[in-house]
Amino acid sequence: MFEFLGALDVILQDGFMYAIIAMGYYVSYTILDFPDLTVEGTVLSGGVAFGLLVTAGVNPWIAMTAAFLVGFIFGAITGILHVKLKIRPLLCGILVSTALISVNLVTTVVGMGGNLAGDGALSTIDVGRSVPTLIRTFPATLLPTDFFGINPRKIISFFVIALIFKLILDVYLKTKNGLLLRAAGNNPQFVTMLAKNEGRSKILGLAIGNGYAAVSGALIAQSRGNINQGMGIGMIVIGLASLIIGLSVFGRLRFMKPTTMVILGSIIYQACLGFATFMGVPSAYNKIIMAILFTLALVLSAKLKTKRGKINA
Amino acid sequence: MLELKNIKKYFNAGTVDQVELFDHFNFNVDRGDFISVIGSNGSGKTTLLNLICGSVAPDEGSIIFEGKNITSMNEYKRAEFIGRVYQDPQMGTCPELTITENMALADNKGKIYGLSPAVNKKRIEYYKELAAQCGMGLENRMNIKVGALSGGQRQALALVIAEMTDVKLLILDEHTAALDPKTSENVMKLTDKMVREKGITTLMVTHNLRFAIEYGTRLVMMDEGKCIMDLSGREKEKASIDDLLGKFYELGLEK
Repeated sequence: MFEFLGALDVILQDGFMYAIIAMGYYVSYTILDFPDLTVEGTVLSGGVAFGLLVTAGVNPWIAMTAAFLVGFIFGAITGILHVKLKIRPLLCGILVSTALISVNLVTTVVGMGGNLAGDGALSTIDVGRSVPTLIRTFPATLLPTDFFGINPRKIISFFVIALIFKLILDVYLKTKNGLLLRAAGNNPQFVTMLAKNEGRSKILGLAIGNGYAAVSGALIAQSRGNINQGMGIGMIVIGLASLIIGLSVFGRLRFMKPTTMVILGSIIYQACLGFATFMGVPSAYNKIIMAILFTLALVLSAKLKTKRGKINA
Repeated sequence: MLELKNIKKYFNAGTVDQVELFDHFNFNVDRGDFISVIGSNGSGKTTLLNLICGSVAPDEGSIIFEGKNITSMNEYKRAEFIGRVYQDPQMGTCPELTITENMALADNKGKIYGLSPAVNKKRIEYYKELAAQCGMGLENRMNIKVGALSGGQRQALALVIAEMTDVKLLILDEHTAALDPKTSENVMKLTDKMVREKGITTLMVTHNLRFAIEYGTRLVMMDEGKCIMDLSGREKEKASIDDLLGKFYELGLEK
């Protein structure tokens, strides 16, 4: 029983934390139809920014906001490459995420006080027990540390943060600016007719998507207790798979907001991974399982779409 | 009001396939004109509209709007005073947004798209009145996605939306061509009613000769980048479909 609760705790924690990347993809991929590869870099950038700030004693909520801004700026760069320099979406993401490998490494080493000539040891930032992260500061400290054998601080903090970012996105998409963004993804010519530059909406959408990815990076850092340079690998697949699972499984439910679907999709995805671990599959196989799950999600969503099309026709 | 002066436009410039469409082309639109433009495929009608709207730039010459040179102005900036309805009913609205949302976006044109709520509930009655003009019962379906409407309904809505934004010049790019005959007739009547009521200056490209004869105050026929017929006033009233067909036939023989 305790074992099951423990597994559920991990699945929900991971579900909420990765759901934020998936919500970012809801903006860049679903609304703007932009397959954004920058995320692999910005998840780590968010983690690095957060880690360096909290270890320097900055309030973790402020550090998380800073992580958002860092991701926001790098996402905007991807958008500018696409809109102003007319580079294809996939290449923009590859260019920026490649550059970010250096940016993240240099920031980490320099931020940790090392020198770039040889401090490989300083490429990891420790945010373990001694560091006051979100789950170890107010208001999480109001919660007990033991609840039927599990520590509820992490899961509740992550839930609240995912919820906050979900609500912000829901409200934003109902504003004039948000509606213009949706129009830009839906029919760019319509935005032009409104005497607005549709390119600007695209840049903003990519900035938001990567801001969300970076916030997720800040949570991943806290969940793992450290930030290493390989942290971003696989994040594109996790984010997109969660998004696509959520939208295809719950897409028919009119009353449900897409952001809610995305969070649930993320939990389902983590539950599948958790189930594999539970069945005794070694963690070395994790990425294969992730790729297979993503493939299944894509096939499933395509199948559901044609089915739905037939019903409507 | 609008003046195109000495326009030159090449396609595939610098290659062996270079085509010169416009050479020292001049065209004037006066305030209050409702001009129908006809002509065979490749005669330069759509390019003329693209030049005016800014989706294509001329190689030489200038475009003057109300005394202001707009030759190098961006398409989206020109949209502040030029509205356009396309042949494809998909182009004039956002399919994933509801009728209300589409209208709310258009209603805010010229203002800042900030962080206030997109749909102002007080305006909904006004949007319903506008939608009712289409005579298609759209006013009762304000909260459904525009993608669920038929082509004719979407085109009527696109027209209402284009006019909602108080543009000074309305461009209709074969806007009835993709519709069935009855819907096409209805959309054309709606167009005429709205243009008359608002007195908006309009340039309409059409392949429907009857529309060109029956509606509008001026009729222009284009061929190979030139205006070969320009009728207004009594001349336009006297013109018949047979005259136009005769002219087309003549052009065919010359080639």
